[in-house]
Amino acid sequence: MTSASLSRWLLVGEWRAHVAQVLVALIAIAIGVAMAYSIHLINTAAFNEFSAASKHLSGQADMQVRGRKAYFDESLYPWLANQKDVAVANPMLELDVAVVGKQSIRSDQKLKILGIDMFRAAQISPDLLGLPAQGKTLDRLASDTIFLSPAAMEWLQVQQDDELQVYAGLHTLTLRVAGGLVRARAGQRLAVMDIGAMQWRFEQLGLLSRIELKLQPGVNHHAFKARLAEELGSSYWVTEAADQELRVENMSRAYRINLNMLALVALFTGAFLVFSAQALSVIRRRQQFALLRVLGVTRVQLLRQMITEGIFLGALGSLLGLSLGYLIAVMAIQFLDGNLGSSFFPGVKPGIFFDPIAAMLFFGIGLCVTLIGSIVPAMEAARTRPALALRAGSEHAVIEKLASPWPALICLGGALLFTQLPPILELPVFGYLAIMLLLIGGIALMPRFTAGFFSFLTARLHRYQIGAVSALVLARLTNAPSQAAMALGGILASFSLMVAMAIMVMSFRVSIDHWLGQVLPADLYVRVATTGDQGGFQVTQQQDIAGLAGIERVDLFRTQQLILDASRPEITLFARPIDGNDPRNTLPLTDDVIASGSLPEGVMPMWVSEAMVDLYGYRVGERVQFPVGASFHEFVVVGIWRDYGRQFGAVQIQLADYQRLSGDLSINTAAIWLRHGMTVDTAIEDMRRLDFGSALEISRSSDMRALSLKIFDRSFAVTYVLETVAVIIGLLGVGASFSAQTLARAKEFGMLRHVGMTRRQILAMLAAEGGLLTALGTTLGFVLGWSISLILIFIVNPQSFHWTMQLYVPWSWLLAVALLMLISAALTALMAGRQAVSGQVIRAVKEDW
Amino acid sequence: MKMIQKRGKFEYAKFMLTWLLLITFLSMETLADEPMTRLRPVVPDHHLSFPHDYGAHQDFRIEWWYITGWLESGDNKPLGFQVTFFRYATDQNHDNPSHFAAKYLIIAHLALSDPSAGKLMHQEKTLREGFGLAYAKQGNTDVKLDDWYLVREDNGRYQVDMRADEFGLQLSLAPTQAVLLQGDEGFSRKGPKPEQASYYYSEPHLRVTGTVFRNNKPVAVNGSAWLDHEWSTAYLDSDADGWDWVGANLDDGSALMAFQIRGKNGGKVWAYAALRDPSGEVRFFNPDQVEFTPLRTWKSPHTEAVYPVAMHIRTDDIEWRLTPMLDDQELDSRQSTGAVYWEGAVTLTKNQQPAGRGYLELTGYVRPLAL
Amino acid sequence: MLELINVNKAYAGRQVLANLSHMLRSGEYVAIMGESGVGKSTLLNLIAGLDAPDSGDIRVNGVAISQLNDDAATRLRREQFGFVFQAFHVLPHLTVHQNIALPLLLNDRSTDRVEQMLANVGLQGRGEHFPRELSGGELQRVAIARALIHRPALVLADEPTGNLDPDTAHDILQLMRSEIKANGATGILVTHSHVAAGTADIVLNLTKNGLFQAQPEHRR
Repeated sequence: MTSASLSRWLLVGEWRAHVAQVLVALIAIAIGVAMAYSIHLINTAAFNEFSAASKHLSGQADMQVRGRKAYFDESLYPWLANQKDVAVANPMLELDVAVVGKQSIRSDQKLKILGIDMFRAAQISPDLLGLPAQGKTLDRLASDTIFLSPAAMEWLQVQQDDELQVYAGLHTLTLRVAGGLVRARAGQRLAVMDIGAMQWRFEQLGLLSRIELKLQPGVNHHAFKARLAEELGSSYWVTEAADQELRVENMSRAYRINLNMLALVALFTGAFLVFSAQALSVIRRRQQFALLRVLGVTRVQLLRQMITEGIFLGALGSLLGLSLGYLIAVMAIQFLDGNLGSSFFPGVKPGIFFDPIAAMLFFGIGLCVTLIGSIVPAMEAARTRPALALRAGSEHAVIEKLASPWPALICLGGALLFTQLPPILELPVFGYLAIMLLLIGGIALMPRFTAGFFSFLTARLHRYQIGAVSALVLARLTNAPSQAAMALGGILASFSLMVAMAIMVMSFRVSIDHWLGQVLPADLYVRVATTGDQGGFQVTQQQDIAGLAGIERVDLFRTQQLILDASRPEITLFARPIDGNDPRNTLPLTDDVIASGSLPEGVMPMWVSEAMVDLYGYRVGERVQFPVGASFHEFVVVGIWRDYGRQFGAVQIQLADYQRLSGDLSINTAAIWLRHGMTVDTAIEDMRRLDFGSALEISRSSDMRALSLKIFDRSFAVTYVLETVAVIIGLLGVGASFSAQTLARAKEFGMLRHVGMTRRQILAMLAAEGGLLTALGTTLGFVLGWSISLILIFIVNPQSFHWTMQLYVPWSWLLAVALLMLISAALTALMAGRQAVSGQVIRAVKEDW
Repeated sequence: MKMIQKRGKFEYAKFMLTWLLLITFLSMETLADEPMTRLRPVVPDHHLSFPHDYGAHQDFRIEWWYITGWLESGDNKPLGFQVTFFRYATDQNHDNPSHFAAKYLIIAHLALSDPSAGKLMHQEKTLREGFGLAYAKQGNTDVKLDDWYLVREDNGRYQVDMRADEFGLQLSLAPTQAVLLQGDEGFSRKGPKPEQASYYYSEPHLRVTGTVFRNNKPVAVNGSAWLDHEWSTAYLDSDADGWDWVGANLDDGSALMAFQIRGKNGGKVWAYAALRDPSGEVRFFNPDQVEFTPLRTWKSPHTEAVYPVAMHIRTDDIEWRLTPMLDDQELDSRQSTGAVYWEGAVTLTKNQQPAGRGYLELTGYVRPLAL
Repeated sequence: MLELINVNKAYAGRQVLANLSHMLRSGEYVAIMGESGVGKSTLLNLIAGLDAPDSGDIRVNGVAISQLNDDAATRLRREQFGFVFQAFHVLPHLTVHQNIALPLLLNDRSTDRVEQMLANVGLQGRGEHFPRELSGGELQRVAIARALIHRPALVLADEPTGNLDPDTAHDILQLMRSEIKANGATGILVTHSHVAAGTADIVLNLTKNGLFQAQPEHRR
């Protein structure tokens, strides 16, 4: 017999004998890999599609010129077009426009309209040319026509030649759907108009959003870009396609990475299950291995055998996981969308593509995780001296040795150290490493905790006469904690992560709720369905609104989008009246502020969001040059405010400063406080009766709050699903471990039945063991989870999303989950124990192996 | 342009435009159906006045400056060239204050026939007028589209500069003869209805000097060219299917222009010819006196269209034979603007005697794709 | 105290015990011998109430254990029976003391007697040791102590010395006999070993036809 066939016999024999346990380990790995892989697939698909869609809009342009502000003067266009090195300059005006009948405060309910010069676009992005009806060529230049992508037509329920009403400032505008954008990407909601028509009809005369450039052949892009950037000065950004990709990538990177990390958690839980399955298998087969060693199998052969088993398990589980993950991804895209509940990739209908490299990567991760889970028990099996193992009653020596506390303590120490390290590439790499080390260390210490806790308990109960069942349970938990703890590895990992996520999400939610209360203090918020960079309300309309009856106070907001760094998404500028004496009345400030009294005379104050600090290095007390109106002006950063709405940064300045510097008196939003006795409904009716009333977007702050929280919950829905999956895997692991241990303990039960334990007593003993262990596990899981939540809240979130939050522990919810876990684990143990009371155990006392 | 008749030109221009807009022939009808227009019709008994009429006429829908000619480089190899600038009034956006408002479009074609290359090199551009990037000015010929331009200097000399990726030209064209008013003092009919007409004058025998760029290498050239300037608002007869046009500088200093508008039934809808002798005497031929007869056809490998590239033309008692410099002088720009026609340098015999060189234009030979 | 009346038991169609009848008096210590597969273990299981006969009755002190349900049989076993196994079956996670005390705990009785029992089986001062620290002979001493700690009426021993060397086996057999006698219990020793059987009062041979007293020459 060759050693290969021996290896196969052993593997097949072992697996056949313990199908359930192998299956659970397999499922754990498969589910872990599947979750991670499907999330990766969905995210990648959504991201690729989103970036392809963005690229689609700019066609084959070599470069883009944008303003710091969202819109800039068109005089740049002829200047660029006349540059010797420029082959084509393609001017574009882009607006997100509200559609009549689709009014909503949410940005994804707006229609993106691109204004193009078809003759220029034809040379750079021909896909953007609308297809008019036969013989209606000039529709592409007409001032009352619009071309819609198929997805936009479907969304708006219009066909060619239908009318479409949209808001242009305070007016409605009726456009004729002149045709389709047949080459728009699937799901891409997009409209195209003639650029001249658009400037006119949407009151954007003289403004452009960007100019795309195609350079003459042979022009050095880098040199040209540098020269152009210098000539254009700081008001404009020159970006290459790669910069734009980076920008799109930056937009969702933190979100994608964090979701991937969560997905890996499921896999991580699987690793613990593999470990416990393999470790138990080693214990069970201790004598078998000893016999093999006696018969002449070398240590290395034995080690190889165990590792081979791990590889088989890992490969099989990973393959299963890849197929499952692909299936999940396809179905998720089919039935949901690519957003996974978030809104990072709006208006995108991605397709899943099989990428062999990613598949191999996830296969590798699954395999590695399995091997890591197998290696420690395998080494243990190889190390054992056969003579010792052949002796009865030596099963436990195996695991006791694993419990040296040092590796665990080193892990915990490492975790502590990593929490102090800064992010890498703006990603909380060390934060996640700290979480991993914390988990590993915590779980590795579990046997010690178990032994310590139960021996303490035993000692305390020593004086009392306790029943046989209790005595047996306590003795087992005290004296053989490793096996017991091993069963809990998976559940401990998943439960502590669940606790961590629950605390983090609830803290986030509570913080946001609180924050919404602070940032939405007024009764009503009124804005125009706008269009571009102009504030929708001019002075007369502002007065009309303020002059309505029953209004106590009106605060006016001017908001603008600015680009401060071409590789980053836009930041938001808010200009609004801010209570100079106590800005806290207006803004949700952190503690990092300069007292208003200590400001020198004549400086203009600026309050920046936390993201500005992390991304742009703004510090309190610092003087910064900031573009307002046509040029840069000096502001002093006087405070930092929490902003959960814009992770890419936002600043607030006094409206008076803004209006003085820019000469722009228009505003975007009016916050309205009603007088006592005035109902919100009446106020809304009054506003609707204004001659521009129908164009107003009027939101109650309560509705906005509810909507914000709804969006919040939706974006975390995937998180909940992932965590639930992790816990289910953990429970499966408990079931499998318990049932394996029950099998391994058949002789023990057989003897106990002989000496007079009833079936019920044995079941009670198993339930008590399971329950007590789980109770301890959940307690430890809670402590571990709480620590992890601190890392999530105070390290991972600020580093990824640049916002901080206050800690909030959802006690009742956690208790309920813990109770549920306790009951599930006890029930699982009971079900596994049914074998323990079958007739076979009685015969087990006679089988020595 | 070279197609002198109003109708031919209109149709041609319209064709060009619609092709440019990626559409097929079928769009002719729609423009004709335009209900309300601010554009002026072409009327008889209108007196052209120069230099004003060298410039653009914004009140008319379509206008073009069209130059064709034969060039010779140092190696004595002949080259043919064609330069056209169109101005097209969209008749839209009158009230639009935007600088991008698409009121006028400028379209330009550049083609070079090079027997050594064995085919026609050509390029087209279109742009809306505005920002100084594209315009057709009034008062004198001054047309620009990005870096392409055609300007008439006060002394009557034209300057053309048009460079494409692989080829281009930079020419100076000096008049040697008086302006030739086509039709009735510049009122040129294109069809049986009187409103189917254009204002049309030609400048034959322009003396050309300058540089041609082939593969970005400059070659000094000289030669002789023909300029047409034509503007109109009305359109071809709805029965028209295409046209054949020729303009030729004859060796003895005479100038010939002839065209026929073909009907959908293959017959002649309208025809016209003018022959000016070196002394300046012009002989006009009415539709019945002008007859085009294909002598040889060439099937385009690009579009499968069959063109009568060698043509027999009778103007009353005179027999003309046209022989192409190359067979493949088809402008197939379906990949860009979509226009497809044959526009080629030809040599002429008059009553079997070598007589001169000119350009032949054949349109309407590509069937619209049946979709 | 133990009556077997017409006991029949078949496994998978094979008659293992046929019409077996026997009576054991209180305080008797008998050895049962027989060829492999003749039904010795089956007989022990039936006596212990771990298995039920197809027909016939088994009475322990007048109680028909074969008629009891599982719980009642278990309670009876817990109070009246002691077991010694070939493989010792000492719980590894309990100390020696705890292992011996197990039957007392199950019967809700005081564990005071454990120390004395430890002394009886020669394991004074080893009470807090774990089984992994003990030799095979010592483990079997623990098992004997556990079998007798609650003063059972009947001790069943199945090849108790099968895993031990002859010297140790001799000591264990002597210890078992003396402890059974000292506790006034009835003992049944199932064994293949004539030497072992020789330590019993009576040796019975189990054959296909029933239980028969062995020839005197088999007795010590």
